[in-house]
This record gives sequence, structure tokens and C-alpha cells, in this order.
Amino acid sequence: VRTRPGYAAPVASRCYSHGKVETDEEFNARWVTYFSKPDIDGWELRKGMNTLIGYDLVPEPKVLDSALRACRRLNDLASAIRILEAVKDKAGPHKDIYPYLIQELQPTLAELGISTPEELGIDKS
Amino acid sequence: MAHQAHAYHMVDPSPWPLTGAVAALLLTSGTAIWMHFNSMSLMSLGMILLLLTIYQWWRDIIREGTFQGHHTPPVQKGLRYGMILFITSEVFFFLGFFWAFYHSSLAPTPELGGCWPPTGITTLDPFEVPLLNTAVLLASGVTVTWAHHSIMEGQRKQAIQSLTLTILLGFYFTFLQGMEYYEAPFTIADGVYGSTFFVATGFHGLHVIIGSSFLAVCLLRQVQFHFTSKHHFGFEAAAWYWHFVDVVWLFLYISIYWWGS
Repeated sequence: VRTRPGYAAPVASRCYSHGKVETDEEFNARWVTYFSKPDIDGWELRKGMNTLIGYDLVPEPKVLDSALRACRRLNDLASAIRILEAVKDKAGPHKDIYPYLIQELQPTLAELGISTPEELGIDKS
Repeated sequence: MAHQAHAYHMVDPSPWPLTGAVAALLLTSGTAIWMHFNSMSLMSLGMILLLLTIYQWWRDIIREGTFQGHHTPPVQKGLRYGMILFITSEVFFFLGFFWAFYHSSLAPTPELGGCWPPTGITTLDPFEVPLLNTAVLLASGVTVTWAHHSIMEGQRKQAIQSLTLTILLGFYFTFLQGMEYYEAPFTIADGVYGSTFFVATGFHGLHVIIGSSFLAVCLLRQVQFHFTSKHHFGFEAAAWYWHFVDVVWLFLYISIYWWGS
């Protein structure tokens, strides 16, 4: 979910350097592929998440789904729940994004047995 | 007795390699014993033996080169290769600690909160003392180059002044870093952050002390007229080492102090 500005910049003043620009679909596909690696290791999972969270966007449900499944393959429940905390934080003041993500991820959370921070009561400081 | 028919240095028998090896054994086993059985005797003995070895071995090399003429051009070339290879090995030594730092910080574990700096760590402001330290070492790189040019141009007084200034800057760095260590809000025991920080910067600090000592010996030698404008390899080796120490600091500053905060 990208927070889009209400205006669209005219083509002439776009600030791209030379080279092709990746579409949202390509970006998502790349990250889904990254987390889908069957033998992904813990380091790669954590590195991927840190890189993803560094971007100026909230990851799409399908990317998060892929990351959560990687956590399952690695038996890392802690990181799975931490991912939910991280995307809630990434949404910043846009309070409607996180509930939307949880709604979209509900089947996956149920399938993989991942509790949300709210369910665990750890969302309060 | 015949003279040698080559320009190389067939060194006389010396006990210092053996005393150095024994010192290494005593230091290592002594440190292990200190850690487990609360006795510093073996380690202290090793330290004393090491210092004696250092003093006497390098004193002998100075005698052989400066007073006995054994450091001919091919011999000096070999010494240059040796110093370059040694510094290269030190580069690899530090590479290991940078590996450890990046391994830990690019993919921080859940125990740290999955973030870097880890939860609960208050990092040092990179634009305070660490930036001053950077300026101090960069300045010392300038002064050591000044010293080198002074030596090459036969300017004795300037060489002594600039070399002294270099050493003082080195001491200033060590002093500032010591203060930082004392005042830091985290210790070596504070998870992998503390470990990577203090081991990497700690070994760097040790190398600053070693480099400063090397330069100090050069100062003493310069005062005692050991160096000529054409032949002063001991100084060059010290200057190379000092620049290496400076470069390591720049990588530490950018990686650990700046990016890592």
C-alpha cells in the first residue's frame, strides 16, 4: 500500500536518474520471490525485512504473506509477530492501513498459527 | 675472513625470535590462566618478556641498518615488502571485525528487537567526539606527511616539530577515545552491539597506541641523527602504519559510528 500524494507530477519534472523505473507490481513480485526462496535462512529473512522496512512504503499483503511463510519455514514465530508490529509502525499516522493488512492476512495468520500483538496484549507499552 | 659477494643481509644468530616465541606462549596461556584461575603471574611474565624482546630485537635491527650498513637497497626493498605484507595482514584482521559488525547489523535478530541500533542502546552522537577524533587523525596524517617531506629535504628542526605534533595528535586521539569509553552509556557486555563496538574500536585503539609508539621511536632516532634525506625506511614504515590506522578509523567512523547509529 503506497500512500499516494493527491497530485501527479508532470512527466517533464520527474526526478528519475537514467534507467528503467520498477512498477509497483515488479517491486512486489521481486519481494515475494525473495521471501519464497525455499531454503531462505534466518539472516536472509532478517536482512530482507530490514531492507523492506527501510523503504518509504507499507508492504503489500502479498509480500508480507510471503515473509510470514518464510518465518514459518524457519520456525521463527518471534520474527513473524515482529513483522506485524513493524508494518503497523510503518503506517505512521494512517491508522486505517494496519487493520486492512490484518484483515487481508487473516487466513494466513490463522493457517500458520500467528497471533497478532493485539491478541497477545503486547501492543500496549 | 672473506667478505660476502652479494648485497643481502645474512643475519647473525639471535636469541630474540626464541624469547618472542616463549613470550607469546606465556602471554596466551597466561591470559587463559588469569581468566580461569585468578593468577596474573604467567601473563605478566609473558608481557615483560615480550617488551624485552621488542626492545632488544628492534634495537639490534637499528644497529645493523643504521650503524653497520647492512640495509643495502635490495635489503631495504625486502623490508618494504615485509611491511606492506604485514599491513595487508592487519587489513584482513580488521576485515573480520567489520564482517562481524555488518553480519549483526544488517540482519538484527529478534532478541535485539529486529532493529539496529538494538532496542535499549543509546548510541554515541557521531557528530560530537567521534567527529573530533576523525579530524584529529586526518590532521595527524597531514603532519606525518609534513615530517616525511622535512626529512627528505634535510630540514631537521621541522622534521622534529612535525613528527612531535603527529605524536601529540595521536595521544590526543587516545585520550579522547579513553574519555568516550569511560562515559559511554553502553558496555562491551551489552549484546552484540557492545561486542562489535568495543572489539572493533578497541583493537583500533591498540593500533593507535602501537603506531604512536613506532612514531615516538622514529622521533628519538631523528633527534639522534639516524635518518638521512635518502635513507629513512624506519620512518616510512611508521608513516605507512599510521596512515593505515587512520584509514581503519575512517571505515569505523562511517560504518559503526555513523551508519550504525
